[in-house]
Amino acid sequence: MRPHRPRGAEPAGRRRLGRSRSEALAFYGFVSPWVIGTALLTLFPVGYAVYLSFTAWDGISPVKPWVGLDNYHEVLTSGDTMASLTKTLLLVAIIVPTTIIGSLLLAVLLNEKVRGRTVFRTLIYIPAIVPPVAASLIWKVAFDQNSGAVNRFLRMFGVTAVSWLTGSRAFVVLIVVLLWSIGAGIIIFLAALQTVPAEQLEAVKLDGGGPLTAFRHVTLPVISPVLLFQTVLVTITTLQTFVPVLLLSPLSDHGMQDVYTNIPNANRVYMVDVYQQFFAYSRYGYGSAMLTVFFLVIVALTAVIFKVAGRTVFYAVDPNAPAKEG
Amino acid sequence: MRTPETATPAPAAETAPAPRPSRRSPRRVVVFLTLLLVSVLLALPFVTLLISSLRPASQMSSDTWLPSVLRWQNYADAVKIIPFWKFARNSLVLSVVNAALTTLSSAIVGYGFARLRAPGKSLLFGLLIATMMVPQIVTLIPTYLLFAQMGLVGTYWPWVLWGSAGAPYAIFLYRQFFSSFPKELEEAAVIDGAGRIRIFVQIFLPLSRPLLVTAFVLAFNVVWGDFIAPNLLLDQSNTTLAVGVSTGYVMGQGFPLPNLIAGGAVLYLIPVILLFLAAQRSYVRGFANSGLK
Repeated sequence: MRPHRPRGAEPAGRRRLGRSRSEALAFYGFVSPWVIGTALLTLFPVGYAVYLSFTAWDGISPVKPWVGLDNYHEVLTSGDTMASLTKTLLLVAIIVPTTIIGSLLLAVLLNEKVRGRTVFRTLIYIPAIVPPVAASLIWKVAFDQNSGAVNRFLRMFGVTAVSWLTGSRAFVVLIVVLLWSIGAGIIIFLAALQTVPAEQLEAVKLDGGGPLTAFRHVTLPVISPVLLFQTVLVTITTLQTFVPVLLLSPLSDHGMQDVYTNIPNANRVYMVDVYQQFFAYSRYGYGSAMLTVFFLVIVALTAVIFKVAGRTVFYAVDPNAPAKEG
Repeated sequence: MRTPETATPAPAAETAPAPRPSRRSPRRVVVFLTLLLVSVLLALPFVTLLISSLRPASQMSSDTWLPSVLRWQNYADAVKIIPFWKFARNSLVLSVVNAALTTLSSAIVGYGFARLRAPGKSLLFGLLIATMMVPQIVTLIPTYLLFAQMGLVGTYWPWVLWGSAGAPYAIFLYRQFFSSFPKELEEAAVIDGAGRIRIFVQIFLPLSRPLLVTAFVLAFNVVWGDFIAPNLLLDQSNTTLAVGVSTGYVMGQGFPLPNLIAGGAVLYLIPVILLFLAAQRSYVRGFANSGLK
């Protein structure tokens, strides 16, 4: 046995090969819940929607008449659909920069050693954990024409009975609801700010640079991957805005059946249009085409964000590297 | 003046021994006042909600900020006018079942991605990241059509299936967390003849306690807060509190009852806030340790 020891590489190699095969098997075993789930609950539905988008299915009849690209042609030429898409992009253009800059600013302030910052952090973060359903109801009550706190406040200045939830003002309320959760990103931003090396901030100070210089040349590059991640996340979330729009508008006791007609024009975002096509007009083919186009818009927007950020994002370390104990 | 902060400086927060601005520097004051203002502004809606929920119907449009009497009966009405406790029980069952399954499943999948090597792994991980970007709202309607064909509309099975599949964000958090341990951790166990499942259950799962809490709270909040899926998939007899509270408080012709909406919203929010406050520490640590930065 002993003389063979130095040449043990071969059996060891074979053993490693055997182990790597069992390791691969174990890997697929461990990830199988997600693989099966994604195939069934994400990939298949997306594929099914793409298929339906080429048909004029009404959701009931056994035949799904093939109409080729007709639905796509209609999506791109329909004034209503383009209007709702534009409205959604406007919402993104307002919400994303405000939320990202606002929450980063708040995180920077919360990173200072001021008294009570734990309390501040909790207070600023709590609206972000309030589910959209509750947030919508809270603001619906606050903006109520007769009983709402907002109009009670305005009455102190002689402004009476502003109808906030109808007409073009409803868009203002929607923005307020979405901006209320501005603190959503602060936990991640705070974690990122903690990784900024103190000695580099010191160095800038020694060179005579102010806090703004330090922020631009040290802090910003270090946290830029997080900034990118948050921007993509908030963009995707904002594009999907639907529940606040639905719940801010008056509901009838018929439940959800005729709710879409009550939504003020100012708040007719893309998803309202989609749900209306599916569930009010039973246009499953057209609705599916709208979903497919929407998905492509999201992919395109994400790609643009990555492209723009690609030049500025700075990966000091491999982003996939294990995190240090923070 | 004795300040507890200066008496026990946090060792982690210690920076260079350079002279630091005093605690009362104008900059600190400005930061403090800004944070105070923002906190008050963001907390104000909770205060007005509480007041609305206690306002008697006769004083709904009164100019006074505080009603002359607090009508606690509003809460009793809010749980009576809709089958509140039934909806709450449905929400609780769905949220707990889904969150428990999501937490466990995501930990299992996250372990696979973090600690095991296999051909095709990076491809699958790319797919995981890609599905994080697929908006739930895009897949929900086609998934609903699928569930309808499987006869699962009106049942709780969709939440069981969603939970069993794990959630991409939670899988990602686990993967980052489990990657941070040295390889030796399982190598010793492998030499002892322990299988992968035993290594996962006995070594990695106990280590991930803060993340378990984070993933559970996140998943619980998603289901408890979800309106669209229960609205599509369930009916009046078995739907959740989110749907009940947001559609139930109307008189005939859709005339809303703001004080009851407020009362219902308060009761609906209590579990979310309590869960967050109870789990806050682990929650923040779970994020900070995850490497999601």
